[in-house]
Amino acid sequence: MLKWFECIDPKRPGIISSRVRLVRNWNQYAFPSRLPQKESLKMLRQLELGLQNLGSLDGKHYDYWYLGDLSDLDRKALGERRVFNSTIASKKTPTGLILSEQEDTGIVLNGTDHIRLQMISPGLHLGELWEQCDRMDDYINARFPYAFDKKYGYLTSFPTNVGTGMRASVVLHLPTLSLGKKFNGLVTEMGRFGAVVRGVYGEGSENYGALYEVSNQKTLGLTEKEILDLVNRVALQLLAQERQVRKITLEKRRLEYEDEVYKSYGVLKYARRMSAKDAMIFLSRIMSGIVDGILEAEGNCAIYRVMLGIQPANLQKISERPLEKEELDEARAAYIRRELPELK
Amino acid sequence: MLCERCKIREANIQYTEVINGVKTEHHFCAQCAKEMDFGPYAAIFDGEFPLGKLLSGLLGIGEEQEEQKKAHQVICPACRTSYEEFIKNSRFGCPECYGIFDLLIGENIKQLQGSDTHKGKRPRYHYQEEGEQCSVETLSGQGENVWEGELDIEEQIRILDARLQEAIAREEYEVAAQCRDKIRELKEEIGKC
Repeated sequence: MLKWFECIDPKRPGIISSRVRLVRNWNQYAFPSRLPQKESLKMLRQLELGLQNLGSLDGKHYDYWYLGDLSDLDRKALGERRVFNSTIASKKTPTGLILSEQEDTGIVLNGTDHIRLQMISPGLHLGELWEQCDRMDDYINARFPYAFDKKYGYLTSFPTNVGTGMRASVVLHLPTLSLGKKFNGLVTEMGRFGAVVRGVYGEGSENYGALYEVSNQKTLGLTEKEILDLVNRVALQLLAQERQVRKITLEKRRLEYEDEVYKSYGVLKYARRMSAKDAMIFLSRIMSGIVDGILEAEGNCAIYRVMLGIQPANLQKISERPLEKEELDEARAAYIRRELPELK
Repeated sequence: MLCERCKIREANIQYTEVINGVKTEHHFCAQCAKEMDFGPYAAIFDGEFPLGKLLSGLLGIGEEQEEQKKAHQVICPACRTSYEEFIKNSRFGCPECYGIFDLLIGENIKQLQGSDTHKGKRPRYHYQEEGEQCSVETLSGQGENVWEGELDIEEQIRILDARLQEAIAREEYEVAAQCRDKIRELKEEIGKC
């Protein structure tokens, strides 16, 4: 079965993915940072038992893991694929993971909170994701009473998540807009509306690949619907601006643009060594080249999948052995040569 | 309003007490508050009343006041997280912390989140508004439960049992009795199979 990032949504190709995440705590236990190991293990067993038939809700196949049973590399690779964040990837205390085969639905148990439910899909689908999360949230809640306060809403370890416990986010590809001088101002402006825009692979000029994530800053005082609308609106606004500047580039500097795209394709198709930075820059150009119809690729051309595959831990997983830095660059080039779509 | 204890000075502290679900409000002046026993909050009133200054600093950053250190000694009785630790890690230890630190963090949460009142979803199960009686029916896979028939009997018993314990703790004996009867019914059903 294909993983979610191996698929693309042809409707809005500039939008890589949407994600809705809910944080909940079981009211019978202290939060994970204050929960002794023995209690953590007891709670994990109870949660796992209570959620063992999760598949009956949505028909998906779920695997159950203790993060302690996974290798460091496996955990890092899951982190790179955004199943959980780096804090959880390196967490040493008992932590559980329930993950669908497509990796589009994941529940981290006893991470920073007892229950962290996340759903991802390619394209812009926040509304549908929320409906599914809401349904699964009720399913979990029928089995485990939540820590909830009339005033503060769902209680969480960090005050930054309290209230709805919800983070809605959209990953966008903004290669042209982010080059402009006004981009930083635009990002600050979005903050005034309560949306955070940050580089997915590093900040500012270090963000190679031009992938940006929009998410809600606040979790309290807004309804879930208001949060979704906000993130949706900001994502569409940024996408519209990107399209506008791309249109101008295509009209005024088409040859330069085409040249950049084809050169990038050529380098990726034939290079024997490739740093992560260069690979991200070239893949980003190919991504926009395909969206703008400059390159016509054969078959499934989810470039984002290649971007995930060249990250260090995933690359080592794919290569099935640990790699030194030099070897990583070689393996990266080989992987890209293999995975890059043929042109029509 | 005058302090209800000394009836001389102006009351500037409102103290809300909830004991066994009964809420009572008191109004004291700073001096009387200092002389009284406020359990985990006692440290706040020890010495000069620092709350105004405390709330003016975001999560305690900035002013290194002696009085503030006293407030830092407020400790959550459930998980032993102190206010100082909360400030250091920006992290609560358990659900009870919100109630314990409420007075100290209300403004900070408001600054952080732009609001201090939840508007979104409420739990569909195991939760009732104050004063509202919960019925067993909403828990047992009937009525509005979308997984009608999907919860197997053992699962239903487990959920009902949790509800039973909760009802006993809340002294809602009628609900507890309903849960108990329902559990007995379901157990008999298993026996027949």
